[in-house]
Amino acid sequence: MATASVTSSTAGRLLGNLRLPLSILAFLGLALGVLGIDQFVNAMTLGAIYALVALGYTMVYGIIELINFAHGDVFMVGSFVAMFISSSLLGNEGAITNVPMLAASVLILFALTISVMALLGALIERLAYRPLRRAPKLAPLITAIGVSFILQNVIQFFFGPTIVTVPQLVPIEWSIQVSGSRVPLLNLFVIATSVILMVALQLFISRTRTGRAMRTTSMDRDASSLMGVDINRTIMITFLIGSGLAGAAGVVHGLYYGNTTFGLGFQSGLKAFTAAVLGGIGNTAGAALGGFLIAFVEVGASAFGYGRWGGAIVFSLLVIFLVFRPTGLLGSHTGDRA
Amino acid sequence: MKVFNKKGLSALAAVAILAAACGGSTASTAGKTLTIGISFPLNGSALASAGPARDGALLAIKEASIEGYTLKAKVLDHAKEGAHNPDQAAADMLTFVGQEDVVAVVGPFNSASARAQIPVSSEAGLLQCSPSNTNPTLTKGADGEALRGGRNYVRVATTDDLQGPAVAVYAKKNGAAKIYILDSTDAYGKGVADAFEAKFIADGGTVVGRQGLPTGTTDFSAAATAAKAAGADSIFYGGVTSDGAPLFRNALAQAGLGALPFYGADGIYDGTSEGSYIAIAGANAENSYASQAAIENIPGKADFNVKFKAEFGKDAEGYAYAGYACAQIIIEGIAAAVAGGDVTRETVRAAVVDKGAAFETVLGSVSFDAVGDTTQRIISLYKVDGGAWKFVEEINYGN
Repeated sequence: MATASVTSSTAGRLLGNLRLPLSILAFLGLALGVLGIDQFVNAMTLGAIYALVALGYTMVYGIIELINFAHGDVFMVGSFVAMFISSSLLGNEGAITNVPMLAASVLILFALTISVMALLGALIERLAYRPLRRAPKLAPLITAIGVSFILQNVIQFFFGPTIVTVPQLVPIEWSIQVSGSRVPLLNLFVIATSVILMVALQLFISRTRTGRAMRTTSMDRDASSLMGVDINRTIMITFLIGSGLAGAAGVVHGLYYGNTTFGLGFQSGLKAFTAAVLGGIGNTAGAALGGFLIAFVEVGASAFGYGRWGGAIVFSLLVIFLVFRPTGLLGSHTGDRA
Repeated sequence: MKVFNKKGLSALAAVAILAAACGGSTASTAGKTLTIGISFPLNGSALASAGPARDGALLAIKEASIEGYTLKAKVLDHAKEGAHNPDQAAADMLTFVGQEDVVAVVGPFNSASARAQIPVSSEAGLLQCSPSNTNPTLTKGADGEALRGGRNYVRVATTDDLQGPAVAVYAKKNGAAKIYILDSTDAYGKGVADAFEAKFIADGGTVVGRQGLPTGTTDFSAAATAAKAAGADSIFYGGVTSDGAPLFRNALAQAGLGALPFYGADGIYDGTSEGSYIAIAGANAENSYASQAAIENIPGKADFNVKFKAEFGKDAEGYAYAGYACAQIIIEGIAAAVAGGDVTRETVRAAVVDKGAAFETVLGSVSFDAVGDTTQRIISLYKVDGGAWKFVEEINYGN
């Protein structure tokens, strides 16, 4: 009897652990069936970009409980930095068909953009948020909105308010055939990049000393400080990583769409915020999940001819989640501040 | 690829031009100052299309002289963050209404801005001439009547109920049978797409899919894939460049539909400068078609182009001629009011709206019907060829 009950509870726990992956797989299968391969790939690609931006949002919230409204604009600046590095510094004009050359260019582009954006993120934290760390919650929130305007206007000043073209280094003609559908390698590249960065982030947070410091700081800043965690350093690293990921998202956005504009940050910031809330703000895996969910809603709406309602559905979801499930899909935080 | 924009430079140039324009006329007989307002969206993507119309108007005002009066131009820019802003357009119109020596206004460029401006100008009885508004409901039917209190609004561009169908006729002629339509969901984009769709279906074409994606959309891949899945052989986009027309075109190319003919109306006919449809879509712009609700082959075009280039250092394009024509019509109205011995907003308005006869303008003979629409009803059609718009043909709907 005892053995049987132990087995059943083990099986139950196993089933419990598998519930999330299983529901994700079920959802993806359903989406693939409803949308077809082409639109499925579109949604995964869009979701990959949303997820990268949402990660930075949710990390900052997790550690200092600040809704960083400037994060969407950090992503936008990332797309311009990538454009500038790619077209002006590396002198790219379009697709590179030589594979080693392409790999080198893309790697340099990622490395430089992520570095620049990580520094910018840390700089913003140091100048705009750290002085307000002990101030009432509203003060850093308003500062974040101010930072958002500053970034938009700086970019507008240097690059103008028009849509700017970005070299698409990966040739859009390269594709593979999947059951009769043409799947561009560019889309797979975007999805793969995003997944690799997300996995790396999860490993970093769960396996490294700094990652542990980030987790403890988000749980209880004062106690962590007493245990010898350098709070300022930990928070700055959070901003470095979050902004670096936004930079990576900026690179990916440029490669995929071939353009950017100074107004990009506002919409994508709202979407990423929604993704973070849907997934459970403060939870990195949840934010990624939320990003993909939003992308599937938008692409699904557009696939069936209701594209103009995509935004309305997404933000309705936001309201529904805030009212009925403020902890989000995966969140364990109480929703009092979300 | 240009990285730093020339916004600051062009703003300086505009100021210099304005100063020159004013300087030029103050040199003539000093007297009472009359000002013609110019109201366009003049930064960002909007500048590419509206800039030529402003320059045309400035040139006409600079050239004009009216005995005993000083003629001035006052330019207000209602673009915000690179796109025309109807709220700012209404606010600018209020500024013109509040400035006593403004006797008439050239503008605006976009129909949605006109919708915001006309009630304001109409209440003040201030004459307004638009070079480029094409939405039919601004003037026609119950909508037009409700919009204006009095008769103060005229336009030299003809309307989308002709422009949309003209593109449809042309697309059919080019062999389009199954079209996928995307619009920008606003007054202009949806309106011109509706008119296109109706004519295309009436002529036996099939619409295989249609939807709207609002301004600010960055991801057009799902719409492009939907067009592919629907088996479209041609695409129509109702909207302007800054709504995302070139982004949609790029997404189509990415979905493997880059070879399909891409039709638009005057919203994507905006030259080749920075921020224009051709500049953003690049090589994908080939095989795109657009229209303009105005005559292409104006009388004396070569002479006009020479003097335009001498003044601004660039070629006249787009609605430059229409902007010039609007200013000509207003100046003729002022001259008639001066001849009548009393120059007020009302006399200038009446001189234009109630003239009854045609105005001789750079566009040729232009007269206005009872609601203020031009009787010169010509749609010009263009094709992207070698990275620039080339005129193909015109459809004349007669008087």
